[in-house]
Amino acid sequence: MAVFEHFQNLYDIRLKPRLLRSLIRDRVPDEKHPFSKPSELSIVVSAVKNHGLLSESSREAVDPKHMENWKSSIDAWIERLLLLVSSKMPDKCWAGICLLGLTCQECSSDRFLASYSVWFQKLLAQIQPPSDSHFVKVASCASLADLFTRLSGFSNIKKDVTSHAGKLIQPVLKLLTDDSSGAVWEGAVDLLCSIINFFPSSVHRHYESVEAAIVSKIMSGKCDSNISKFVHCLALLPRSKGDEDSWSLMLQKILISINVDLNDAFQGLEEAETKSNEVIKHLVPPGKEPPPPLGGNKMQGETSNQATEMSEQLILHRISMLMLCCCRMLTNPYPAQVIVPVRPLLVLVGRVLMVDGSLSQSLLPFLTVMQREFICSELPLLHLCGLDLLTGIIKRVRSQLLPHAADVVRLLTEYFRRCALPALRVKVYSILRILLISMGVGMAQYLAQEVVSNALVDLDSIAHGCGEASSTPCSKAASEGLLLPSYRKRKHGTITGFSEEQQGGVGTEMEAVKGKPITPIAVQTAALQALEALLTVGGALRSECWRQNVDLLLITVATNASNGGWANEEKDIFLLSDEPTSTRTDFQLAALRALLASLLSPARVRPPYLSQGLELFRRGKQETGTKVAEFCAHALLALEVLMHPRALPLVNFPSGDHPDFGQGFNCKFPKNIFSSGLKNNSPFPRGILGKDEIEPESNDDELYSSWLGNDEETEASASIPDKHLESRQELSEKDGRLSTEDHQAEKHPSDLPAGAQFPKEGDRGATDAAHMETGGIKDSIMAQSERVQEIIPNNDVRLQDKDVMVPTGDLTANVVEPNKGKIESSGSDSSKATPALSSEINNKVLMAAADANALPSDQGSLLTTSIVIEKGKKLVLEYNSDASKDSFPDIVDGEPDSD
Amino acid sequence: MEVVIASSPVDAGIGCWDLHSGAEQLRYRSCTSTPHGLACVGQRFLVSSQLRDSSSSSGTILYWSWNKPQVEVKSFPAEPIHPLISNSDGTYIIGGGSSGAIYFWEVASGRLLKRWHAHYRAATCLFLSDDESLLVSGAEDGCIRVWSLFMVFDDIGMEMAKHPYEYSFSEHTLRVTDVVSGYGGCNAIIVSASEDRTCKVWSLSRGKLLRSIDFPSIIDAVALDPGEHVFYAGARDGKIYIAALNAESTPSNIYGKHIIGSLSDNSKGVTCLAFSMDGILLVSGSEDGTIRVWDAKTRNIVRIFRLAKGPINNVLVVRRPLYSNFQTSANSHASLSRRHVPLLPPPLSKYVNSTDEIVDSGAITVPQTPSSDIMDAPYLSSHVLTKQISELQQQSSAATGMEVDRLKLDCKRSLEMVQKWKEMFADLHKFCVDELLGNDQTQTQ
Repeated sequence: MAVFEHFQNLYDIRLKPRLLRSLIRDRVPDEKHPFSKPSELSIVVSAVKNHGLLSESSREAVDPKHMENWKSSIDAWIERLLLLVSSKMPDKCWAGICLLGLTCQECSSDRFLASYSVWFQKLLAQIQPPSDSHFVKVASCASLADLFTRLSGFSNIKKDVTSHAGKLIQPVLKLLTDDSSGAVWEGAVDLLCSIINFFPSSVHRHYESVEAAIVSKIMSGKCDSNISKFVHCLALLPRSKGDEDSWSLMLQKILISINVDLNDAFQGLEEAETKSNEVIKHLVPPGKEPPPPLGGNKMQGETSNQATEMSEQLILHRISMLMLCCCRMLTNPYPAQVIVPVRPLLVLVGRVLMVDGSLSQSLLPFLTVMQREFICSELPLLHLCGLDLLTGIIKRVRSQLLPHAADVVRLLTEYFRRCALPALRVKVYSILRILLISMGVGMAQYLAQEVVSNALVDLDSIAHGCGEASSTPCSKAASEGLLLPSYRKRKHGTITGFSEEQQGGVGTEMEAVKGKPITPIAVQTAALQALEALLTVGGALRSECWRQNVDLLLITVATNASNGGWANEEKDIFLLSDEPTSTRTDFQLAALRALLASLLSPARVRPPYLSQGLELFRRGKQETGTKVAEFCAHALLALEVLMHPRALPLVNFPSGDHPDFGQGFNCKFPKNIFSSGLKNNSPFPRGILGKDEIEPESNDDELYSSWLGNDEETEASASIPDKHLESRQELSEKDGRLSTEDHQAEKHPSDLPAGAQFPKEGDRGATDAAHMETGGIKDSIMAQSERVQEIIPNNDVRLQDKDVMVPTGDLTANVVEPNKGKIESSGSDSSKATPALSSEINNKVLMAAADANALPSDQGSLLTTSIVIEKGKKLVLEYNSDASKDSFPDIVDGEPDSD
Repeated sequence: MEVVIASSPVDAGIGCWDLHSGAEQLRYRSCTSTPHGLACVGQRFLVSSQLRDSSSSSGTILYWSWNKPQVEVKSFPAEPIHPLISNSDGTYIIGGGSSGAIYFWEVASGRLLKRWHAHYRAATCLFLSDDESLLVSGAEDGCIRVWSLFMVFDDIGMEMAKHPYEYSFSEHTLRVTDVVSGYGGCNAIIVSASEDRTCKVWSLSRGKLLRSIDFPSIIDAVALDPGEHVFYAGARDGKIYIAALNAESTPSNIYGKHIIGSLSDNSKGVTCLAFSMDGILLVSGSEDGTIRVWDAKTRNIVRIFRLAKGPINNVLVVRRPLYSNFQTSANSHASLSRRHVPLLPPPLSKYVNSTDEIVDSGAITVPQTPSSDIMDAPYLSSHVLTKQISELQQQSSAATGMEVDRLKLDCKRSLEMVQKWKEMFADLHKFCVDELLGNDQTQTQ
């Protein structure tokens, strides 16, 4: 009946049963026909997932008839699957199991709850003896795991499910012990992990046997490919009991086991006896029974027998796996409060890290060369595990690391000094970063020297790449100065050592120069990240000795990193294999991040490479759609606060009145802002150092008034003495030149008195607060007028300068308006505010003179463009003072004539 | 729930009010706190050091859990402890003793991890910097010292250093009454108040005095505006002065240089100040036994709580876990481990125990709820399916195994078929033969 049913579109609910039926008909195998193409199944899976064919739910209300239809089609689907699962043919059975797993994941809750136990029984049968196909077993394990994952969402049937799960443990263990296929083990362990995760109490009864089974797998070293899953499972296991003791006991057992293995592995390389005793002493308090060995007593007999014939490789492999397990135990969350034995863990890590393959002096060398060679070849892996374990400890104990922090730092720094392999260095850097960020200033003081000296060495090559490029901020001499003598000596010992004579135009290309290895990009990235962390946390406290070098290094590195263009992320993706590697993008990003930290980190003077940094970020921001661009935008936002320090009062004023100072000042007054001293960089922009400043009465809008204050100060103390008070003669001459050059003005002589007036006023302004007030207001007009032009071009009344306004009045406003658009567009970008205002004033002046006669608009714009940027401000002042003297007519007379 | 808690040197208990609704919560009994001697440990419980009569040489520190009014744990450190603070994780309690020593306890085990001689006179106030790696302590002799906690625990480094502290400021001439520090990590500022009627602002990065402000009265409490635009200084004359940090200040202020205003209610001296989380409500405790909540924006009082007749010397604003939450989480833990997890840690020990250095108990971590969230649990079967399909297509050993199984079954079935056909044939044959023979027999018969 439903054959000819219509459906509206892709989203129509009537489509779903049709699709499902055709899938059942065409793609899902059945009893009768042979099952030839397994790849059909993936089509089924994707169709079911994409269309939500089993969901039985719809966003909008639907006709129950359609729903009924859908339901019956799903009934048919499940009927078919169950038929398949009980099929004798292994391939059909397999298909049925896989699709049943999918159904567990996709079907509606009601259906799932109604039939999960039937499905469970069906699947359970498949992992038990009569079935012997590996494929079927693996698929059943996966489907069962999904069944339990889904069940974990329903808390109301927890008890029931736990008993189901309990039934599963024995068969799964049997799979682990009897079966011989790695794939089946993996499936079984995955299932076990899911059960421990979601229904921990079901494993409770089988705790010992599970532990024994997993440990024997790890110890035997037979399953290489998926051993980390076993390790993960072992680390999860204590959760099935969920109490403090089982966690501690497990950790204790593992540590002792590692210790025993280390004794075997490091024979002759260290004083095994003392080191081992130290760990044990911390682990097992004197007078207490040591815990049973890992995996139960049965294991002990086995391992001791094996120990004699066990290869070194197996031992080392086991050590690293058990350390990984410790690490997992530390990092996985645990439901109960536990005591982390920090001291023994640290001693153990130290023991591993301190072995470097050199023979211990006090012992007779009874290692063969072969043995030593092998151990040395495996040591890096072991060290990596040791460092991972250290990371795990730091992450777990958080602030409680404090009593041990000094030990950790000493261990790390000593190790860092000797560590020369890239992967290890990357790891050490990352640990340093974690320590810095989590522990703050105190840690920064400890680590600063170490981080800086190592990073300088590692970033040496890239920093030197700019030797001959003159545009970059560092000259060769400067970059040589980066290396303090003591480090220069040492860097030959490391693989990053890269002597000065050999560095040529390395640039950003990561290539070997004259056969010498240069620092891999991953290490450089890690070094940059560590520097970033250091600057973030401790850039200000006692940083004088390294700060300058680091700042220089970072701008150099960032410049060089961007010299070859920004990396193409897409290209990186293609180059990438499965494992995450550090790419050029990462490196550039790390360089930019570190640069931002260097610019933002508190300092007493203006960051020396601010403008270069800004330029870099600005360029980076143009790389549309890349991470670099994203970060650069963020960096520019962060740096904006550095340019315009804010001291925001608690009161919030209406945002509409808030003057938007945005860009205009950024470019116009950079020198004045920063040359006005430390106070902009110190947390106290004004006066906290005991300086008393004469300030206007503070009003609510303190940010605004502080701006006025700043400007007035710069005007009064910096620009006026600099530019205007030098000599009246010069000033008037300049003005004259300006007007003659630009406008061919005849009124030059009459301009002179106005110019002569001006310095006097400036003199008074320096002392007279009232006059400074007016100066401030004029400046505010500069800013406001720009705004006014943009927002309310018509409303000239906003300008409060009486002197200017009185003669012009509202009469001129209408006439001025048409000009404005042009004026603004013609104004140069770098000095929007000044020309805009001056043009306006000029316009008004013109208006006043021309008695509101309509003026050709191109004159106004011509005038604006002709004003030189630097002189714009002077012109404004000049005109303002003119305005106060009411002496426009002369100027104005000149303007029309200039045409 | 954001609550105001306040305590008094006279026994009036610890008052606890909901800051926003004003409703009074449980009052925790029998507390006579020292100034700066009230703290909340990791939002889990309250701790206060007690004023005791001078006859006993040891001090007293008490714990209250949120949901019981009685004192739950009592500790008796070796000497009276005045100021008391805890870090934000609630893993450590730091106390300043009357001898000038600073005590550093681990909360979870109660061990005294460190005790060091910090000042010549009794410590009066303690403050942790925002990254909790530096400790600022003030003393009766006017000395303020900044300690790096790492340095304190690093015995080897301590020996090499010239002095154990980072900075020592001795510009105050009389007892330091309060010390606070702001945001900004190593670039933060420290504001201190003293009985010499000044407040001083220090730079942490430079270790220098930045500004000294003279007040008309002795300042007992200081609170920093979260934006660090100004700071509030509670004075003994009952006013809360507002002093400029970043803000403009005019010379014509009526109170003095840098003081730009005041909050005033004509009450008795202000003894303690605290800011709410939103940085707008300022809570002050007064000598007259009341707690006032000010709106720092409008400078008006929005609420008044009354604790006691006597003075108040501690006010805190803390976020307190909701009752129901607290209990269910405790229950779930109990059910998980089938064991009651004690809510409060053991008492603080009296001495640094050198013998358990060996059996060092390590760090005690708080329980974490494992993320059994279904959202981040991956489903396996489709992943396994694709893997197996590709294996099938590549005809790997496992796949061929299945193929062989299938073929074997096919073969078996075919053999069965053959057998069946054979049987049928035999039957038919027999039948035919019988039939023929039968016919013959009948014919012959």
